Amino acid sequence: MAPEEIQNFSATDLTLGGVPLDDRASGEKYRSTPLDDLDGIVALYQPRVFRFLLATLRDRDSAETLTQETFLRAWNARDSFREDCSIATWLIRIALNLARDHTRTGRFRFWKRVSASAVDVSDVATSIPNHECSAEAQLIAQQQVAGIWKTVDGLSERQRSIFLLRFLEEMEIAEIATVTGLPVSTVKSHLYRALAIVRTQHNPPPRDLGSRRSNSHSLTSKETL
Amino acid sequence: MTPQLVPQQHVDLGATNPSGAQSGSSHLSEEQIDQLLARRDGAIAPDLALAEAHLLVCEYCAAELASLRDSLTLFREASDAYAESQFLHQANLIRPRWTAPSRRPALSHLFAPAYWFAAAAMLMTTFLPMQVLHRHTLPTPQPAAVASVTASPVQSDEALLNDVNSEISASVPSSMQALADPTTDESTVSTDTNETTSTQRKN
Repeated sequence: MAPEEIQNFSATDLTLGGVPLDDRASGEKYRSTPLDDLDGIVALYQPRVFRFLLATLRDRDSAETLTQETFLRAWNARDSFREDCSIATWLIRIALNLARDHTRTGRFRFWKRVSASAVDVSDVATSIPNHECSAEAQLIAQQQVAGIWKTVDGLSERQRSIFLLRFLEEMEIAEIATVTGLPVSTVKSHLYRALAIVRTQHNPPPRDLGSRRSNSHSLTSKETL
Repeated sequence: MTPQLVPQQHVDLGATNPSGAQSGSSHLSEEQIDQLLARRDGAIAPDLALAEAHLLVCEYCAAELASLRDSLTLFREASDAYAESQFLHQANLIRPRWTAPSRRPALSHLFAPAYWFAAAAMLMTTFLPMQVLHRHTLPTPQPAAVASVTASPVQSDEALLNDVNSEISASVPSSMQALADPTTDESTVSTDTNETTSTQRKN
């Protein structure tokens, strides 16, 4: 390359396979995505992502760390967001994948036992908004919440995720299928099994209904499809 | 929260219910209860139309379903409230990290003088006392000595000169005074010693 060519050379001249590496060279603007406004996205969805991760991981510090990691991943991969689902669904999918990777490490399981930031079930139970009901009703409600919280912790990883997506995030079955990457029928099966466990353990029938419930089958959290 | 209802007479759904209700049973099956729970409120589910129709006539199933829904609603509300409280607790640590990149230059531009002023103030408050302290600590012995010397220079000079004059004017220096008249000193000494020896002998 001649000296005058070197002087006139700029980064916009770089190409890879005929495609300019720098989009400015092509004269086109960057493709704008809904995720470009990161401040707005974070302000809108951070509490929701944190809530899902906190309920999934049961550890405040881990939930906080993975919440930040979720938005970092989303920012880095914003160009791959094709808007075939909502931003919330996309973020929850990233968060779920991060949580799945995180919980599979032995380090997480070890530190969860001794972590000071682990969620105490009594704290959750006492967080019920006061609906001006009696003290007895409050106590019963706290017991119910504590029971469900414990039971959900005992569900299998997939059942717990689907249960939380449905009853905490209030997602549709189709949305849950998008988030988890599972078929709708599989999502339904996991959800019904999780519901069966929660229902049998924490809302027992008031009387013997064995005859009409005879078609129910015993399920455990370790069952897999 | 458990329903306290008297079981009703059987409502046979089995013959016509496509969603799996048992033949001859009076209430919804567990699967139907789960399907109704899993469905979002207000969502239309044609396959659950008969189950919903059953809920209208069966208080027991309706109460059980309502109880389950209430429990799940409480779970969501409690989890939501707890997560919100934890989130607000951590908000001060999380939010500054996500300041929009586009806003950073503007903010830094606006507050650049303030940043410089704050930095200068910090430097002043840090190094100025150290300099003052350094100045006051190191030369402390010297000014004290100088002060003692320069406190009354005239008087000290006069005293020194008087001493010198007296030494010069004296016929015998004070250090040689004992040798100047040895007899007087020796006689007094000898008489003293004699007196002491005589008193000792008397005793």
